Amino acid sequence: MAISRDEIMTQVRETLVDALGVDDDEVTEEATLTGDLGAESIDFLDIVFRLEKSFNIKIPRGELFPDDILNNPEYVENGKMTPAGVEKLKNAMPHAEFGDFGDDPDINKMPDLFTVKTIVNYIESKLAAA
Amino acid sequence: MRWFWIDKFVQFEPGKHARAVKNVSQAEEHLHDHFPGYPIMPASLVIEGMAQTAGILVGHARDFKENVILAKVQQATFHDVARPGDQLVYDAHLERIDENGASVRGSVTRDDKPFAEIDIIFSHVGENQSELDLPKKNFVFDRQFDVLVGGYQLDKLAPQPGQQS
Amino acid sequence: MRFILVDRILELVPGQSIVTEKALTLAEEYLGDHFPSFPVMPGVLMVEAMVQSAAWLVRASTDFAASIIVLKQARNISYKNFVPPGQVLTLSVQARNITRAESEFVGQGRTGDRQVVKARLALTHCNLAEQDPALADVDRRVIEHQRQLFELLGGSTLARSAATVRDPTR
Repeated sequence: MAISRDEIMTQVRETLVDALGVDDDEVTEEATLTGDLGAESIDFLDIVFRLEKSFNIKIPRGELFPDDILNNPEYVENGKMTPAGVEKLKNAMPHAEFGDFGDDPDINKMPDLFTVKTIVNYIESKLAAA
Repeated sequence: MRWFWIDKFVQFEPGKHARAVKNVSQAEEHLHDHFPGYPIMPASLVIEGMAQTAGILVGHARDFKENVILAKVQQATFHDVARPGDQLVYDAHLERIDENGASVRGSVTRDDKPFAEIDIIFSHVGENQSELDLPKKNFVFDRQFDVLVGGYQLDKLAPQPGQQS
Repeated sequence: MRFILVDRILELVPGQSIVTEKALTLAEEYLGDHFPSFPVMPGVLMVEAMVQSAAWLVRASTDFAASIIVLKQARNISYKNFVPPGQVLTLSVQARNITRAESEFVGQGRTGDRQVVKARLALTHCNLAEQDPALADVDRRVIEHQRQLFELLGGSTLARSAATVRDPTR
């Protein structure tokens, strides 16, 4: 049964409201998980588990939030991600919007890549592939 | 006060479900501060009972190799208070587990009636997840724990046909 | 062990917020089991410290109207760091709502600058006499005990100065 992007957004919103204790209206597509919604590392695990349950899918480690690339010191130099790192990240996260991150890959800006939209895009492509 | 908030396991299905019980007794000193003249088991210690039941189910599923740490309580909802003479029954159902952590849905009953629902996420903690230097060996499931879990006799507790789980 | 998880009340704004401290010491026996080679404050006792802090705020805001104050629901309790003995856990609790029978809070715990725990709490309050009038004496004794403990923790001094601020003619 195909589910619309709107329905995906509704369920993702419900998941984030439950997991992060934020209000419905704070969960916009552009809202960043760590910045706007206050998510912390343990919340990411909670979010992955809840999304798996809501959408009846399996989310392999690192597929939604590629922490192995993000936390790998090999890809960081002088507070910026290396070109190799940016490339790997882009390949690992087709569901994210990189904008001009490639021009100034400051590691402090990395959390901004994780928006509500990132999750909706991921779920949409995961369900389409199923 | 010892830090054991369950008394024994009564059912154990590896990787799926565990049931443990806790007796509440006047002999427990902390009850006489909570409250003087009207002892009530603190809700926070009911959460710990579920965390211990669930933590052992989670640890057992991966041979107690990792430190299983309480990371998040998604919700803990209480319908009543427990008093001396009561027995609480903890049912922990393992929903999801991998190398990062696990998620457990728990329900607590008293006299077969709903007492609380407690849902927990555990983290498998490695050295990089805390600013403190963690011990090199497993500190959650250590030698003292081995003795404890031996006493639980979990392998003798598979549910019998017809038993509710 | 005494089940008192607040050592000092630092700030108190009745109806609004409270800040308290809980100092962790190796003399607390349960640390021998949690864990033998790595003593750290159990997460549920951090929650208990937060619940007790919220309960003090309820008592100060309602003039100790209810004897029994217990946790009804906790949501999104999340843990970020360990607290070893020798550290002091500072709890900050903000009230979202306090009525005669119920209250809701948001709370955070930290050691120094380091965030340790946060949670959303809902408490329920009552007097035993509401269910059984014969227990009115028990209510009185519990409330008297709480008033004395509140004094010990520095709460009465803070409550008195908060009252003075609200009514400078006192």
